[in-house]
Amino acid sequence: MRGRNFSMYRLFWKLFLSFWLALVVFAGGAVFAVSAYLDHAKAKQELRGREDGFRGMVVAAQLAADEKGYPGLLDWLRERDEDQLVPLLLLDRDGRDALGREVSAGVLARLQRHQQSAREGQPDARIPITLADGRHYWLMPDLQGASLSRLVARPKVIALQVLLAALSGGAVCFVLAWYLIAPIERLRKTAALYGAGDFRHRVGPSLGRRRDEIVDLAYAMDSMAERIGNLIQSQHTLLRDVSHELRSPLARAQAAVGVARQQAGEVADAEFDRIEMEMDRLNELIGQILSYYRLDAGQRPTAAEIQEFRLDELVAEVVEENQALAAEKQCAIGFRSAPAPSPFAGSEALLYSAFTNVVHNAVRHSPPGGRIEVALDRAEGEWKIEIDDQGPGIDPGLLERVFEPFVRADASRAKNTGGFGLGLAIAKRAVEYHGGHIAARNRAGGGLAMVMHLPVAR
Amino acid sequence: MPHLLLADDDHDFCALLERYLKIEGFDIALAHDGETALALALSGNFDLIVLDIMMPGISGLEVLRRLRPLCRTPVLMLTALGEDADSLRGFELGADDYLGKPCNLKVLLARIRAVLRRSEQVAAGCVDDGVQICVDDLSVNTHSLAVKCRERPVDLTSTEFAILESLLRSAGQVVAKAALSEKALRRPLGRFDRSLDMHISNLRQKLGPLPNGNERIKTIRGVGYQYLTE
Repeated sequence: MRGRNFSMYRLFWKLFLSFWLALVVFAGGAVFAVSAYLDHAKAKQELRGREDGFRGMVVAAQLAADEKGYPGLLDWLRERDEDQLVPLLLLDRDGRDALGREVSAGVLARLQRHQQSAREGQPDARIPITLADGRHYWLMPDLQGASLSRLVARPKVIALQVLLAALSGGAVCFVLAWYLIAPIERLRKTAALYGAGDFRHRVGPSLGRRRDEIVDLAYAMDSMAERIGNLIQSQHTLLRDVSHELRSPLARAQAAVGVARQQAGEVADAEFDRIEMEMDRLNELIGQILSYYRLDAGQRPTAAEIQEFRLDELVAEVVEENQALAAEKQCAIGFRSAPAPSPFAGSEALLYSAFTNVVHNAVRHSPPGGRIEVALDRAEGEWKIEIDDQGPGIDPGLLERVFEPFVRADASRAKNTGGFGLGLAIAKRAVEYHGGHIAARNRAGGGLAMVMHLPVAR
Repeated sequence: MPHLLLADDDHDFCALLERYLKIEGFDIALAHDGETALALALSGNFDLIVLDIMMPGISGLEVLRRLRPLCRTPVLMLTALGEDADSLRGFELGADDYLGKPCNLKVLLARIRAVLRRSEQVAAGCVDDGVQICVDDLSVNTHSLAVKCRERPVDLTSTEFAILESLLRSAGQVVAKAALSEKALRRPLGRFDRSLDMHISNLRQKLGPLPNGNERIKTIRGVGYQYLTE
């Protein structure tokens, strides 16, 4: 997961943010609508609780007027206008607002009702605010004046409700988005396994009892993997069985050539040599196919095939053995090794064939007079074997594929350079059998570098 | 004329091999399944048995397992290409040598002759200097082929005998693998040929440790073997 940024979760975040935004708008609108509705209802019914709260306002206004006179009253009024959603009007006896705001007919009617009941001396009459000079003002809420534009101009009024709505909405959306994306992440991991050649993994059952399009996709992927896995398996089995079966006729042919040569004496010696050489080649190819598929099938060499040996000695031996081959092309192989006193535990025969195949490959593609450098280094917990040549390198698109059986870097030259296209595939399997890995890269100065890593202990 | 038993279920292959080996001066008997091969091997007086592992009925390995306690006739195994584990198992059971199949007939002939020379040499006790070699608790008679360890007779194949004899003649010294192979196996040792290791491992098992508890045959890694003395 490391090294992946948010872009990997693009769909997740899109879903998450759009859900969240939708919910915030919805919740904000709902809060406003509900409060406006409530205010409206209260205005109609003149609820007692509201009236009590309003009386507190009147007392506070009277206090402000007593302390600082008319200017103090106006300051107080302006402050309330800032923090109250419902505008408070301060009306003189003629129904004019102290701050010059428009006064609706409904408010005026109510003012006149209040003035009337005050004149009649009714006990619940609204008390006016009285200034020192004896002027009277009535504090009147303009319930119809509570508009959306007033709300937007005073965000503090409902900020807390909106924040809570947004957070709870966000939590819901997060869970929702995760629910959608988590199985897709599983599909991605499974597809990556398929990409790496492991078709045994199944993703459908791991999604439990969930049923939706994603699960349908998972089961479709499972049946695809089943089919591809079977196809590859049967192809491997076919190749292996054919190779097996080829050995008997080849053994008979080889015996027949032996008898024929014995009977013919010296006649046609060159032709018999040729036949035997071609049969040896065929034999070698069959041997390579069988050993490749033995490694590919995960069949492990028996304990008897594992021994302790010195890696530097083995590499030196391979280098030495191939000097003659290199000399034919006027090439030379250089070898440099870090001190390697500790023995390596593994299959010497497998690693021998891995090193030999890679060195052969380097010699084969070296230009005449070229130089091949083999280096054995000890890094953190592993051995690193690098084989550099001065050949043409490989098309970058083939750098990974050259380790697949029968894939060649240069189809045109294959026949001249020999080899069956299995050498590097066997090298890769042999290195992987030891828990290591192999990679090819084109060197900056030209030529190919093959790098093998082998862990010291498993 | 050396008498060979050829056991392989491929009739055509056997016929070709028979023809080839007869011209090379061998007397050949054929068997095409495990049971026949075992019966013939036990009844006939063969100088060498060429035994294919993959046979119907009882396999070549099983034939070898049943044969060895009763008979020390040298056995050369033919193993299918790419089945190296089989050859190691064969050595454990007391085979003298093995060859992958398909194989070049000239190579097969050379191997047959090497095994025969080895066993003839052992059988003839033709080593000129002395007949009885005694080292610590071990006594080897190169004439009668009798090997006694702590006064108990030990049963060795002719190849094992040849290797033990070579090691004893240089007791206390390191014998290089290549030299041991040339001398006892009568052929050069291939790079990943583990036949010598397997024969040594058999010898260790049959002889046990020295009276003082130390191991008898020491492996000198990358060099060879050393028969230790007390």
